[in-house]
Amino acid sequence: MTASTLVSIVDDDESVRESLPDLLKEFGFAVQSFASAEEFLASGHLEETRCLVLDIAMPGMSGLDLQRELTRRNQPIPIVFITANEDSSECARILDAGAASCLIKPFSETALLRAVTKALQTG
Amino acid sequence: MAKDLAVAPVEGVPAIRPDYVLVADSVPALIGVIAADGAVEWVNRAVLDYFGATLEEITGWATSKLVHPDDIPAVIASQKHSFETGERVLSEHRLLRADGVYRWFKIYGEPLRNGDGEIVQWYMLQTDIDDLKRAESLLAGEKRLLEMVALGRPLHEILDSLCRFVEQTAPDCQCAVFLIDPAEHKFDKGFAPSLGDAYTVPLRGVPVVPGSAPCGAAAVDKTQVIAFDIETDPRWLGSAYHDHALAFGLRAVWSTPIVSRSGEVLGTFAVYQRHPGSPTQIQQDLIAQFTHIASIAIGRAQSDNAIRRSEAFLAEGQRLSSTGSFYWRQTTDEIICSDETYRIFGIEPGTPVTVKLITSRIHPDDLQRFTERVEARRTDGTKSDAEYRLLLPDGSIKFVHLVSQATATESGRVEYTGVIQDVTKARVAEETLGKLRSELAHVARVTTLGALTASIAHEVNQPLSGIVTNASTCLRMLAADPPNVEGARETARRTIRDGERASEVIARLRALFTKKATTTGSIDLNEATREVVALSMSELQHQRVAVRLEAADDLPPVKGDRVQLQQVILNLLLNASDAMSTVEDRPRELVIATSSDGADVHVSVRDTGIGFDAGDPDRLFDAFYTTKSSGMGIGLSVSRSIMERHGGRLLATRNRGPGATFSFSIPCEPQDVLGAPGVTDRHQGMMVG
Repeated sequence: MTASTLVSIVDDDESVRESLPDLLKEFGFAVQSFASAEEFLASGHLEETRCLVLDIAMPGMSGLDLQRELTRRNQPIPIVFITANEDSSECARILDAGAASCLIKPFSETALLRAVTKALQTG
Repeated sequence: MAKDLAVAPVEGVPAIRPDYVLVADSVPALIGVIAADGAVEWVNRAVLDYFGATLEEITGWATSKLVHPDDIPAVIASQKHSFETGERVLSEHRLLRADGVYRWFKIYGEPLRNGDGEIVQWYMLQTDIDDLKRAESLLAGEKRLLEMVALGRPLHEILDSLCRFVEQTAPDCQCAVFLIDPAEHKFDKGFAPSLGDAYTVPLRGVPVVPGSAPCGAAAVDKTQVIAFDIETDPRWLGSAYHDHALAFGLRAVWSTPIVSRSGEVLGTFAVYQRHPGSPTQIQQDLIAQFTHIASIAIGRAQSDNAIRRSEAFLAEGQRLSSTGSFYWRQTTDEIICSDETYRIFGIEPGTPVTVKLITSRIHPDDLQRFTERVEARRTDGTKSDAEYRLLLPDGSIKFVHLVSQATATESGRVEYTGVIQDVTKARVAEETLGKLRSELAHVARVTTLGALTASIAHEVNQPLSGIVTNASTCLRMLAADPPNVEGARETARRTIRDGERASEVIARLRALFTKKATTTGSIDLNEATREVVALSMSELQHQRVAVRLEAADDLPPVKGDRVQLQQVILNLLLNASDAMSTVEDRPRELVIATSSDGADVHVSVRDTGIGFDAGDPDRLFDAFYTTKSSGMGIGLSVSRSIMERHGGRLLATRNRGPGATFSFSIPCEPQDVLGAPGVTDRHQGMMVG
């Protein structure tokens, strides 16, 4: 876990894109933020991303769509899904599908750090 | 004849010249010469013919044999006065004709004096004024009866008087008037003052047919029927009437139909004699004249009854419909009111009503508007249609609808005829209905809340997440060595921003779902739509619905209740989302578009869902009609009701491709001349004083 460990954040909510990078940087990660799945795919950061913090519901391509696309491209980046939807069954389905973690907003820094660490270990 | 008579010579008086006698005999008047002591000395031929006696016989008769007994005292007094004073004799009395009939005469007597100025003879001229007297009497009677008719005296009073007058004029006769009930075709009331109710009452209800009585025959044939002798007349032998008339001692019956101007038989006029007989010409004239008067009296009574019935119907109609009428005479400020108008204003019937009195009943909040309109109406003569509230002395409040129409008098002044309707019940019902609608709309909104739970949680959790993350970062930055104060300040600022964002979400939710009274304001439907879209976006995304808002630029504002209009938009969005929930073979697209044609603002919600059957689209708007497994089926019904209350329309149409489009139109907010939104409050909008 060094400054070279890149965690990418994909969320259409601007406040998440503003707040999460600062917190993750406090933990020593390098962070990149993207407003959509399409933007991330086009960014050229796929190779170096060690963990993806990914919002599930987004306009256009959803988080799950991006997960499928990465699998299709054979680029299995560990994913920490985040969602503002309180429906816990959604998270359960995602974990079953192979996601590292699923966090329901709002989540604590501890939960985030644990989830990201776990994801990096998985990767 | 007179030449054969010797005129007794009187001293100092020259004998009557024979040629004068001839002249006197040819005059159609009674002429006589009477001595100073009253003895008859000479009469002309007309006297002898009238009395059917010779001069000798007449000379020998007492006054009582020539003069009507009732007139004797006056005759004696008159002659005595003239003989004593020498003044001209001037009187009227009845003289008995040879056939036993008394006739009225007017008597002029001039004295003849000798050289010493003493009266030696009286020259008497008696002219027959009987026809004149009768005509005057009939005229006076007719006048009296017509006055009674004109004064609106009761019919029984008029007909009793009529009978009595005829009986007085034709002393040998008795009279009755019978009315006919045209509906039943039977005899109704009868009036026979000298025969009494005992005679008329049994005839009431007798059918108007020829065989029932002479009156029945007269009414049916519309012609006079003469029964010379009812006892033997074969037409009514064996009838109940035959025995009834004879029981009252009546023998001759002359029945004449009383016919209205329109030819309707109103009744019959019956004249009776206690001995067999037919009417004389004089009696016939009398019958014709008074049958006509009876026709006028009965016609008038029927008209009066019709007017009374009509007035009663009108009053009842006014009472039932709570509608009064009035007439405003501006010159005197007097207002003539119907009973119902008095009741509506809470004014004692009969009280003189003025504009001032009416003004005192107007609710203070409407007073200025009322007085302004009244003053305007004094001069402009326009039609009025207005609603006001009344505040009555007992503290109660009424809503009234007032309509009046100007009429110009001959002098050119403007006066008003109008109606006033008590619409309090309707207004109270409308108010109650409005409250119930508001309650139902609230129920519908709360029902929608369930469908939005996930969306609401999403909307709140997003900023909460930001708050928690920023606060954590802030603490870490401050705990660093050295503390990253600038970074901490930035994260604290974001924390506040996200807190405010969460607060706005809660405020929007509260505005939409808290129960509150309907309020009216100016609304930008683009903004209202964006808020609703934001609130439901998460739910729509969750349903994998792609939303596109095509908001028209410069959309004019509408006037209405913001919450209720947002409720309609929200309902259409969620319905559209539901309609696409099973769609897998095509994109789930939802397009919300706003536009305006200058008169209305239109909002449409188009989906690519399952659409609806081609049957009656109106059924979609029926309450409790639903195709969904969840929901009460009141959303569209409430939405349409909200639209109607805003003067708008809500329509459902099938798309050419898949899905349906629900759209509503609502009138643009009126602008005043300066371009500012005008006031369209109902009361102000519809009322004219």
